[in-house]
Amino acid sequence: MTAAQAAPAAKPSRRRRARAVRAVQYGVLAAVAVAAALLADWGRIAAAFFDLDVAAAQFPGIITSALVNTVVYTALGFAFGLALGVVLALMRMSSVAPYRWIATAYVEFFRGVPALLVFIALGYGVPIAFQLAFDIYSTVMLSLGLVGAAYMAETIRAGVQAVPAGQVEAARSLGMSRGRAMVTVVLPQAFRIVLPPLTNELILLTKDSSLIYLLGLSTGQYELAKFGRSALTEYQSLTPILLAGLCYLIITIPLSRLSDRLERRYGGRPSTPTP
Amino acid sequence: MSAMIEISGLVKSFGPLEVLRGVDVRVERGEVVCVIGPSGSGKSTLLRCVNLLERPSAGQVVVDGVELTHPDADVDAARRRIGMVFQGFNLFSHLDVLANLTVAQRKVLRRDAAEADRIARENLERVGLGDKAGAMPAQLSGGQQQRVAIARALSMDPEVMLFDEPTSALDPELVGDVLGVMRRLADEGMTMLVVTHEMQFAREVADRVLFVDAGRVVEQGPPREVIGAPQEERTRAFLARVLNPTGE
Repeated sequence: MTAAQAAPAAKPSRRRRARAVRAVQYGVLAAVAVAAALLADWGRIAAAFFDLDVAAAQFPGIITSALVNTVVYTALGFAFGLALGVVLALMRMSSVAPYRWIATAYVEFFRGVPALLVFIALGYGVPIAFQLAFDIYSTVMLSLGLVGAAYMAETIRAGVQAVPAGQVEAARSLGMSRGRAMVTVVLPQAFRIVLPPLTNELILLTKDSSLIYLLGLSTGQYELAKFGRSALTEYQSLTPILLAGLCYLIITIPLSRLSDRLERRYGGRPSTPTP
Repeated sequence: MSAMIEISGLVKSFGPLEVLRGVDVRVERGEVVCVIGPSGSGKSTLLRCVNLLERPSAGQVVVDGVELTHPDADVDAARRRIGMVFQGFNLFSHLDVLANLTVAQRKVLRRDAAEADRIARENLERVGLGDKAGAMPAQLSGGQQQRVAIARALSMDPEVMLFDEPTSALDPELVGDVLGVMRRLADEGMTMLVVTHEMQFAREVADRVLFVDAGRVVEQGPPREVIGAPQEERTRAFLARVLNPTGE
């Protein structure tokens, strides 16, 4: 019925139709906003998420302890993962076939299993199997690093292969060995190419660092997610969780801005100007 | 004294494609030899076999008395004394001009920073770019980049210089600067093997010209003979196309 009414004798112009579509879009948005404002119980929501007294009680611990721990855990995992990722990337490009097989198997395995399982395996399985007692920092470094390395290896390999062959030829013609050319010429250029995707990997690891909660932390070792969860048992409010979420954004939003800037600066052709 | 470069029976195949089919070349010390020939004739491959950027399928390459094709040859060591200049410049894009000139001096020749720096600046002056030490390669024109590439090779104090179509990627108005640098280098007595399409340069600077076609050296001799009065029909046909492209 409405369709019939919307089809008058004179067809509306293309511009008028576009304006009508836009009006409908804004209308839907406004309707949802009004419904949310009228139907939601704002008092209850505020108590659940925005309790200022509860929020105030989280400081300074959520910053000085939890946020710092998240950053430290992530940095450890990223550093180890990056180092291992470089090794794996070089292995994947090796002329020795078994190295390639091992690296490929590694990447497939650790990209394929949830990070959660890796944390459990390292936190509980390895200490039993190898009679090793890892402290919390080693465990988080290894777990995050092992998972991150699988992704970073693929990224780095793509970066190395994006460096023009002429760069290696120039290095070799100056008497550099294959390894020296890789370290001095290829890898520095490859890293510029892969900085944006590596930054994204750092963001993913920041969030995955929350999985450390599985291993049983003492209070001083709480990172953001665990910090927020433990506060839940004290207060009848989700405010600490919201705060913890905001703290993640304090880390991740600058990183993604950075990634965008690096992308603009170094993105595209590998030989773009780098003043 | 032995020749600087002695190539004998050089064969290079890429899969089923035989690019060089038995080439003999001898370059004396201080001699400037230009290699001319149609594209696809194998002249670049010939040059790249001299420092083993391409590994010969058969034959012998001896540079400065060292047989590079020998299985035990230290090719990296030999390459330190063989400078190479590429058609595409191939400056290290992540390093500024000065670092382009010092990196191999320091990492390969183990010169200390001050000495490498001094030698690099000398060579930049030599190619007329003393004021560009701090520039990044991408900020330079093609002609400037190629002169930096020449200075980079010279900073290693090479015994011989290989040029692989050094002006082919340049805008015509930038060719002269690069050829000028090469001409001075020849005058200073550098041994040079130059693959080029610049007939004027070959005529004026080369001691000897090789005409290569279909993987073989067809004709060689002083430029006034090979370019001025070619004996072989293929050389004549090539030169006619190059020197008079419109066929008038």
